[in-house]
Amino acid sequence: MIHIAINKKLHGASADMQLDVNFEIKDGDFVALSGKSGSGKTTLLRILAGLEEANGIIHVEEEIWLDNNICKAVQKREIGFVFQDYALFDNMSVLQNLLYVKKDLVLANHLLHVTELTELKDRSPSTLSGGQKQRVALCRAMMKRPKILLLDEPLSALDPVMRSKLQNEIIALHKEFKTTTIMVSHDPSEIYRLSNRVLVLEDGKIINDGSTKDVLLRTKGSQKFSFEGELLEIKKVDVIFIAIIAIGQQLVEVVVGEDETKNLNIGDVVNVSTKAFSPTITQ
Amino acid sequence: MNTLVAHVKEIKSVENLNIVKFDFEGVTLSMMSLELPESVKVGAKVKLGTKATHIAIAKGFSGEVSYSNQLHVKIIHVDNGELLSSIKLQAESTSLESIITRDSSDRMNLHVDDEVTAFIKANELSIVEVL
Repeated sequence: MIHIAINKKLHGASADMQLDVNFEIKDGDFVALSGKSGSGKTTLLRILAGLEEANGIIHVEEEIWLDNNICKAVQKREIGFVFQDYALFDNMSVLQNLLYVKKDLVLANHLLHVTELTELKDRSPSTLSGGQKQRVALCRAMMKRPKILLLDEPLSALDPVMRSKLQNEIIALHKEFKTTTIMVSHDPSEIYRLSNRVLVLEDGKIINDGSTKDVLLRTKGSQKFSFEGELLEIKKVDVIFIAIIAIGQQLVEVVVGEDETKNLNIGDVVNVSTKAFSPTITQ
Repeated sequence: MNTLVAHVKEIKSVENLNIVKFDFEGVTLSMMSLELPESVKVGAKVKLGTKATHIAIAKGFSGEVSYSNQLHVKIIHVDNGELLSSIKLQAESTSLESIITRDSSDRMNLHVDDEVTAFIKANELSIVEVL
């Protein structure tokens, strides 16, 4: 069990705010931290890692990482950290990058095998693609067998195919090592695939905390198929009305009743939803 | 969207699939649904919704039909367009709209004050709001 209760004043882009969170994480959980930029997600990870000071407590199992008297140094906290950029040593081979953290050749070879990097182990990181570098960074973070793995948008710079491959590897590693993981991510499909719990941060406070499915399926009532969009136009055709709505990059048309048109204004942000029984899927 | 205020009477579940039965002014309505919000429980007052295009109309109906929801209603307004017709129905204290083809409206010779049956499939009824 990990208990985190943190309080810190942050200087945000528009205004100062208070990072104020208090939550527990079960061992082996994969928690996604989501929320708008500037909501305090990365700061929270940095405080956990010991890279930033804060008031409060961090208890990891029986150990105290932070309280009124103690603030464990970064290198004493058993933490693995993967950022968006790779921060690998280019003057060392892939394998040496891993062994630099801990001289455990068996573990290093095993991690390289799981992430399909064995053939690249003697290469310099500078010769690798972004996805390969990020896999090396992930392996390196696991070399200490950390108690907590912190991932800060680790896949956001990668293309969709590489993203999906790395997600599979993160799943495989999590299955094997059962490392308690906290990941900052904005991508709902990534959050859904990887995490079992989601914390949503806004202005330094947790505004939503629940199982991944409950938090991500933003639905009202029994409607399961739900999107937010902008109302562009309503036109009358025969005895019905057709609303044109922009959802992301896509325009959709929805037939609405006359009574509904009375409450709708062009430019409104609207929710388009239907039951899970109605849509069809094609490839 | 058509809305009806009803009370939850019964919830049957298999894994995350549910059939919910409602009491709408003495008439039983059924809804198919996946996960339900926690606030939907027996006794809860809810606003149900269905689109006008999801309501079928039968006149002088006899025999069996698979529509779970059958309401005996009276036509209060007919608006015939070129291709479609909007039929306003009085169901107990609630008024509903059904959009059908103009051809069907003509074929069935639908007029104000006709007593007809409105059919809604269980998957086309949804909970808009728990009241």
